[in-house]
Amino acid sequence: MISRPLTLSNRLGLHARAASKLVQTTARFDSAAWLSHGDKRVNAKSIMGVLLLGAPCGSELIAEFDGEDEAQALEALEALVNDRFGEEQ
Amino acid sequence: MSLALTGLGVTSGIAIGQVHRLTPGELSIPEYHLGDDAVGSELDRLHKAFGRGEKFLADLLARMSKEITETARDLLEAHRLILRDPMLIEGTAERIRSKRINAEWALVQQADQLQAEFRRMGDEYLALRREDLEQAVGLVRRELAEQPALFVSTQIPHRLEATIVVAAELGPAEMTVLAQRKVAGLVTEHGGPWSHAAILARSLEIPMLVGVHHALDLLDEGEAVILDGHYGAVLAGADESLFAHYREKREASQRRRIELRRYLGRPSVTRDGQAFSLLGNADLLPDFERCREVGVKAIGLMRTEYLYLDDALPDEDTQYRAYRAAVEAMQGRPITIRTLDAGGDKLPAILGFTKGPNPALGLRGLRLSLSLGELFVQQIRAILRASVHGPVEILLPMLTRRDEIRQARNIIDRCREELRAEGMAVDPELPIGGMIETPAAAIDVDHLAGELDFLSIGTNDLIQYVLAIDRSDELVNYLYDPTHPAVLFLLQRIQQAGARHGCPVTVCGELAGDERTARLLLGLGLTRLSMPPAALPAIKKSLLEASAADCQQIVREWLDSSQNSAEQGLLERLSPE
Repeated sequence: MISRPLTLSNRLGLHARAASKLVQTTARFDSAAWLSHGDKRVNAKSIMGVLLLGAPCGSELIAEFDGEDEAQALEALEALVNDRFGEEQ
Repeated sequence: MSLALTGLGVTSGIAIGQVHRLTPGELSIPEYHLGDDAVGSELDRLHKAFGRGEKFLADLLARMSKEITETARDLLEAHRLILRDPMLIEGTAERIRSKRINAEWALVQQADQLQAEFRRMGDEYLALRREDLEQAVGLVRRELAEQPALFVSTQIPHRLEATIVVAAELGPAEMTVLAQRKVAGLVTEHGGPWSHAAILARSLEIPMLVGVHHALDLLDEGEAVILDGHYGAVLAGADESLFAHYREKREASQRRRIELRRYLGRPSVTRDGQAFSLLGNADLLPDFERCREVGVKAIGLMRTEYLYLDDALPDEDTQYRAYRAAVEAMQGRPITIRTLDAGGDKLPAILGFTKGPNPALGLRGLRLSLSLGELFVQQIRAILRASVHGPVEILLPMLTRRDEIRQARNIIDRCREELRAEGMAVDPELPIGGMIETPAAAIDVDHLAGELDFLSIGTNDLIQYVLAIDRSDELVNYLYDPTHPAVLFLLQRIQQAGARHGCPVTVCGELAGDERTARLLLGLGLTRLSMPPAALPAIKKSLLEASAADCQQIVREWLDSSQNSAEQGLLERLSPE
């Protein structure tokens, strides 16, 4: 099990398109994945869970992974978030 | 027995074919409790239904041709993610296990609970759209019912070249499949001319009627019908001579289309040497491709309302992608993007405004945008960002006052500065134009032209406001007359003001794309006409063969004389033969 804090720096936060990309990324890995924002913790492979976090720009999230490929999964998620979900700024 | 049903023609095309009715049928939700030994098989049934629903969407996406819009693709992708969502699947399974209830019942409960959670979030921007969850869950319910399992795939035959599909309403998934299978024509009971389905049909030039009441009740499966988009009618039970007439008409129009193509390569100059410019109107990507095919030099009108049709508002990035795709499709030819022209009869529900007492005179066009604040800023930012990829102009709709232009310019300037601070080089000279479509703007056009880089005449609204005629009102629409002296006087006034201020004037209403009126505009000195690409070849031929001097002479005489009701109308005098 590994975890790491991530900061959302894309302009729009976890809106529908960003959430889709996030879920598509976490779903590529076998490890179980969770995302927390404030007191909410959701399955990071659930599009509805991720949207229900309601995380705007600037939010601090905690990503957790548990499984054989947890390191790769965390790396991929971190890259996506740092790339601001590919949104052009 | 013969029968004529009327509706609103989305395109003027003709289709002949056999009726195929798409009836999703109401699904009832069975509710029952399970015996202990049935839980395992119920869970299995649930997972299989989700799996089949997901596979259906995956197949559809894989087969989707590139002509389908990004919006439709995004919608289907989102539905697919919902069908893989553990909160939905596991939550439903948990209800089956703990409450010992059947899958349909558990699924509906779980979906309702999730909808309620999204509603509680209160931030509609970050929330899931109600209808997305509904549609995705609907797919699973159909699978569970093992009923017309999948509306779209199983109910739609593979070859539709001679089929006219009749439905209550058509969504993006259905439209995708129908367009791919080359449906001959479409008839829907609901939906207006600006629905997604209608915009797509127009873009793909599929004959379509919307608002045909009771079409599903009145048209029989397999019945041969004629769809006449021009008159907005479906004719059933017609005799052979009528079919022959329409077949001939359809073939004649196809022949004419081919014949007209040879005019496209010619320089745009009238018989007596007056240059003119034909521009294109476009919404979706296929429109831009068609515009290029018919050789337009620029897009005179890109409407943006379709981006706001959904239940959720488009964010800046979604808009930016749409504008950028349009800019790239035109390969360096300028695009005039009109800011949101909502209001009147097309006020998106999502904006949360209630209709005023008289929508035509209410919060619409630029007035609405200026009252939207941040939403307008997002649209302007998206347009400015797209302008980095190719020439773009901004067009402001429904002006009545100079200070509206100043307010809009202030917002545009602020956005430009912001973007520059973010490191984006936005053209400081990006042209800003205004729609002249209200009597106030037309009468005060000199003042407005002084503050604008170009003018665009929206003839539909202008004529409607000047004559006080709603063209959809059957009691008065016989009075709708583009040759009314008051209309011609204002058109002339706008043309002259544009010339005085060095402001190019484009006409982008229906008059520009109508063979009967294009020469009238030429006669008024209006030589930049923007129209749907399908109309362009015929307009080009008509203007190539016209004499600008003769047209001007005829219009001048008409305006000077008091015989506006003379036996031969103005349009007849201007027409070729």
